[in-house]
Amino acid sequence: MERRDFIKISAITGATAALDSCGQPDVQLIRFIPEEELMPGVATWKPSICTLCPAGCGTLVKVMDGDAEVIRNGTLGIMKMGLAKKIEGNPKHPISQGKLCPRGQAMLQVTYHPDRIKGPLKRTGPRGSGQFQEISWDDAIKELVAKLQELQAAKQQASLSFLTNPLRGQRRELIERFLSTYGAPPAIAFEVFDEAVLRRANELSFGRPQVPTYDLARANYVIGFGADFLGTWNSPVAQAVAFGKMRQGRPGQRTKFVMVEPRLSQTGANADEWIPARPGSEGILALGLAHVIMKEKLHTGAAAGRAGSLIEGWSSGLAAYSPQEIAPRTGVTAEVITRLARELAAHTPAVALIGGAPLATPDGLARALAVNALNALLDSVEKPGGVLFTPQPPMAQPQPATTRHPESIAERLGLLAPKDSRETPPVAALLLDQANPVFGLGDAWKIRDALQRIPFIASFGNFLDDTSVFADLVLPDHSPLESWVDSTPEAGAQHAVVSIAAPAVRPLHNTRAMLDVLLDVAHRLGGPVADALPWKTYEEALKTGAKALQALPGSLAAKDSDEFWNKLLAQGGWWSTEIRPAPARPPETRQRFAPVGAARADHKEDSPFCFLLCASPLLSDGSLAHLPWLQETPDPLSTAMWSSWVEINTKTAERLGIKQGDQVEVESQHGKLQAPALINPGIAPDVIAMPVGQGHTNYTRYASGRGANPISILAPMVVPETGSLAWAATRVKITKVGEGKLALFGAELREHPHEHR
Amino acid sequence: MEPKPQKKWAMVVDLDRCTGCEACVVACHAENNIPTVGAKEAAIGRAMHWIRVERYYEGEFPDVRAKFRPVFCQQCDAAPCEPVCPTYASYHTSEGLNGQVYNRCIGTRYCANACPYNVRFFNFYNPVWEKPLHLQLNPDVSVREVGVMEKCTFCVQRIKAAEIDAQAEKRELKDGEIQPACAQTCAPRALVFGDLNDPASEVARLAKSNRATRLLEELGTQPKVIYLERESWHDGENS
Repeated sequence: MERRDFIKISAITGATAALDSCGQPDVQLIRFIPEEELMPGVATWKPSICTLCPAGCGTLVKVMDGDAEVIRNGTLGIMKMGLAKKIEGNPKHPISQGKLCPRGQAMLQVTYHPDRIKGPLKRTGPRGSGQFQEISWDDAIKELVAKLQELQAAKQQASLSFLTNPLRGQRRELIERFLSTYGAPPAIAFEVFDEAVLRRANELSFGRPQVPTYDLARANYVIGFGADFLGTWNSPVAQAVAFGKMRQGRPGQRTKFVMVEPRLSQTGANADEWIPARPGSEGILALGLAHVIMKEKLHTGAAAGRAGSLIEGWSSGLAAYSPQEIAPRTGVTAEVITRLARELAAHTPAVALIGGAPLATPDGLARALAVNALNALLDSVEKPGGVLFTPQPPMAQPQPATTRHPESIAERLGLLAPKDSRETPPVAALLLDQANPVFGLGDAWKIRDALQRIPFIASFGNFLDDTSVFADLVLPDHSPLESWVDSTPEAGAQHAVVSIAAPAVRPLHNTRAMLDVLLDVAHRLGGPVADALPWKTYEEALKTGAKALQALPGSLAAKDSDEFWNKLLAQGGWWSTEIRPAPARPPETRQRFAPVGAARADHKEDSPFCFLLCASPLLSDGSLAHLPWLQETPDPLSTAMWSSWVEINTKTAERLGIKQGDQVEVESQHGKLQAPALINPGIAPDVIAMPVGQGHTNYTRYASGRGANPISILAPMVVPETGSLAWAATRVKITKVGEGKLALFGAELREHPHEHR
Repeated sequence: MEPKPQKKWAMVVDLDRCTGCEACVVACHAENNIPTVGAKEAAIGRAMHWIRVERYYEGEFPDVRAKFRPVFCQQCDAAPCEPVCPTYASYHTSEGLNGQVYNRCIGTRYCANACPYNVRFFNFYNPVWEKPLHLQLNPDVSVREVGVMEKCTFCVQRIKAAEIDAQAEKRELKDGEIQPACAQTCAPRALVFGDLNDPASEVARLAKSNRATRLLEELGTQPKVIYLERESWHDGENS
C-alpha cells in the first residue's frame, strides 16, 4: 500500500481523528481528506506577489504541511493542508531582488488573521453597527445580481460606483471592462498618499504620466525633497537595494545623499546632510539651486528643454531665485544653497527626488515641476544615474488619475458639487474593494453621512474596516496568498515587469476571489457585460492576457503558450530587458508655473503649527494596522509600539511646558484629537508631526480604538489639478491636557522602566 | 589530511548601508516564532525582539543627525551569559554560538542580567497565538514556554539544515549559502553572515575593514558581530 493511500483510508475511517482527540471534546473533529499532495515536513517555495503596496515585489512563499481547522459543507473539521510559513523576496524578481520590507515580511498575518471575514455576510443591524449574519455564496451573489438588474431596469447603470485601492494590470482591466459594459463610470481609486500629482508633473515635464524609477545605484549625488524613499514611498525595496549599492557597492566611490524635509524621517536619518528647509519651500529651493548652476554655467547641457520652459522666469536665468533672495524664505543660508548647487553640478550623474508632503498641498504641482526642471538642467532625465521610467508592457494600463478633469472621490460620492450633474448622478449602489475613505479622509468630508445615504453597499475586502463596516453585503475575497494575483509595477525596475502568480496555499475560509465573483456576476447579468468578459475565472483571463507577452522581444523562450505560461508561473512573472519605453508625448500647455514658498493652508490665526502627517514605516497608511507583528515592531525613530504620538521640537516643548509622554490635544479648525507627546530633536520648531496608521474605529481586535487618526482633523483640501488629498495643508495648535502613556521599546529595555526615567 | 578548521559563525553589520527599516525585526519574528505580547505588556518592557534597531540622535536642531544600529545577540566568545547559568541552559556550541537549551532553562534570568547587550528576552507568560495565527508557526523552531529565556540563535535551524544538505551532497558549504532571516530580507545588504574562520568568506574580508568595530569590546566579551561604522562624505574624494 502506498503511503498516500494509507492516509486516505485512515482519513475516511476516521482512525486518526479518534486517536488525536482522546478525552478532549473540543478537538473531536472530523479529519477531512487532504485536497493536495503534501510531503510531510518538506518545504516548497512558491512564487507569489506582495500586494500590500503598489510596488509589486515578487516573493517566494515557504509552504509546509500542517493541520488547519476548516469548515467544509457546513462541518468543522481538521484538514492537512499546505500552510504559508515564511515569505522572502524572489531573488529573480527585478523589483524585490530577493529582499523584502517589514510590511512584506508581515503579509503572512493577513492570511492567518483571527478576524478575517470567514464567509459572505448580510447586514442585520443598523448601518455601521457591525452586525451581520452569515449567508451562502449563492444567496450573496444573487442579491448583488438582483441589485444590478434593478439598476438596469431603471436605466440607472451610471449610478453604480466602484471604489477601490489603485488598480493595475489585469485586475484593473477586468474591473474596467465590467464597469464600462455595464454602463457605470470608471472605478474610483482612493489612497491617502496617492502619486497623482507626481504623475501629472512628469506628464507635463517629460511626457510621461508615470511615477519615476530613480537610478540611485549609479548616481553620484542624490538630493531628496520630502521623498521617503527608504520608508514607504514609491518602490521602497528596490530603492533600498540601490541605496546599499550607492553607499558601499562601488569601491572607492560613495554617493552623497542630501535630504530636505522639516522633520527628520527614517530616510532623512540616513542622509549625509539634512536640511530642514521651511515646509513648502522645497520648490523655490530647487529653483535656487538651478539659478546658481545656470548663473555659474556649471551645467553641461544647453537648457532644461520643456521641463525648464514650464517654469516662470526660467529663460531669464531664474533671476528671482538667487540664494540671497530665497534664503529667508527657505530658512537655508545663501552659502549652503550655493555650495549644494556646486556640489550637485560637480558630481553628476546627480538626481533630485520629490515626493510626499511637498506635493500634498493645493500648490504642490509647481514644486514637482521645479524639481523636474532641476533634473533636466542636471541632464539626469532618462539617463543612467538619473530619473528613469519603467517601460510599460501591454498588460499595464495607464493610471486614470492624470485626467484634466479629475473626479475626486468626494465629488463622486456627492460631497462636492458635481461639475456636471447629468454626468454623475447620485450613487445608488457602491461596490467597495479595500479602499478605506472613512479612515483616509478627514471628518470634514463627512464621508460617513455620504455612505449612509447610499442605498446599497457591497464590499469585497477580507476584513471589516472603518468603511466596509457600512456594507449591506460582504463578499469576502481570498487573501492574496490564496488567490491568483497579478501586478504590473509602474516603477522600481529599469525594465518591463509583469508579475503573475498562482495561489500559494488553498483558501482557509469560505471566501472567493473577488474577480471570480465579478466574472460570475457578469455571466449572470448576461448581455454586453457577459460578452466582454468571456472567461470563467480570473486565472483564465490572466492566461489569455499573458499571451500578448510571449511574442515580445526578450521574452521567455517557449514552444507553445502552455509552456510559456508554465515557465512564467515558475519564475513568478515575466520581464524583459528589451522593451523600450513608449515615445514621450508632452501635452501642450501654455501655462507657466511658479512654486510658492509657504504652503497654502486653510487657517492661520492662533494655529501656529504646520501639521505634518508621516506614513508609518510599519503601518503604512493605516491599512496594515491590523497586523500584530507590525503593531509591536518599534517605529524606527521613536521606538514606539502599539500607539500614536505627537512629535514636538525640543525647544517648542520646553516653551509650552510639555514633557515627553504628556497627553496633548492637537486642534485644527476641523477637529481635535489627543495623543502622548514625543519630544523630537529632529523636527522644526513650527512643525507638529504625527504618524498615520492608528485611530481606526473598526479594524480588527488589534487596531480598533487604538490611538488617534491624524487624518481625521485635516482640512478638506485637494490638489486642484488631480483631486488628490492635500494632506499637508492643515495648521494646528496644541495644548497639554494631562498625563499620557507612551510605550517606547528604546526607553524600556530594562524591566522597571519607571526607575530609569 | 589536515583537519578542517572549525566553523566560527559571525555577522557583519554595515552601518553605512543600514536604513533602519525594521525588515529584519519582522523577518525574525516570522522565522523564529517570537510571540507578540500586546500593548500592555509591551509598555512595561516585555516586548520580545531578538533583533532591534537602536536609534541615536546627535546634535540639536537644525544640526541634528540620527544613526541606526541593529543589535542582537553578539554571540560572544567570552560570553557573560554562559558561566552564570546554574543549569547549563546557556552554553557555548562547537561552532562558537551562544546556545540556549530551552528544556534546561529554569528561568533564573541570571543570563539576562549578565548580558551587557540587553538581547535576552524572558517569557513572562505562555505565548499566545490567537487562532489561526498559529498556523504560520515555523515547525523548524521550537515554541518557548513561560519561564524560559530566549534570544537570537543566528537562525541555527537554517545553519543546521544547510550543513545537513551539504553533508548529504558530499560537498563543502558555500560562502553565503546560509542566511539568517534578518540577513536574507535586508534590502541594502547591511547584514552579511558567514564563517570567520574561512579567510575567503565575505565576513572575514569585511571584518578586516578599517571601519570595523565591535560593540562594548572593552568588556572583553569578544563578540562575533562586527559593526562597520557609518562613513561621512567629503567633497573631492569621490569625484
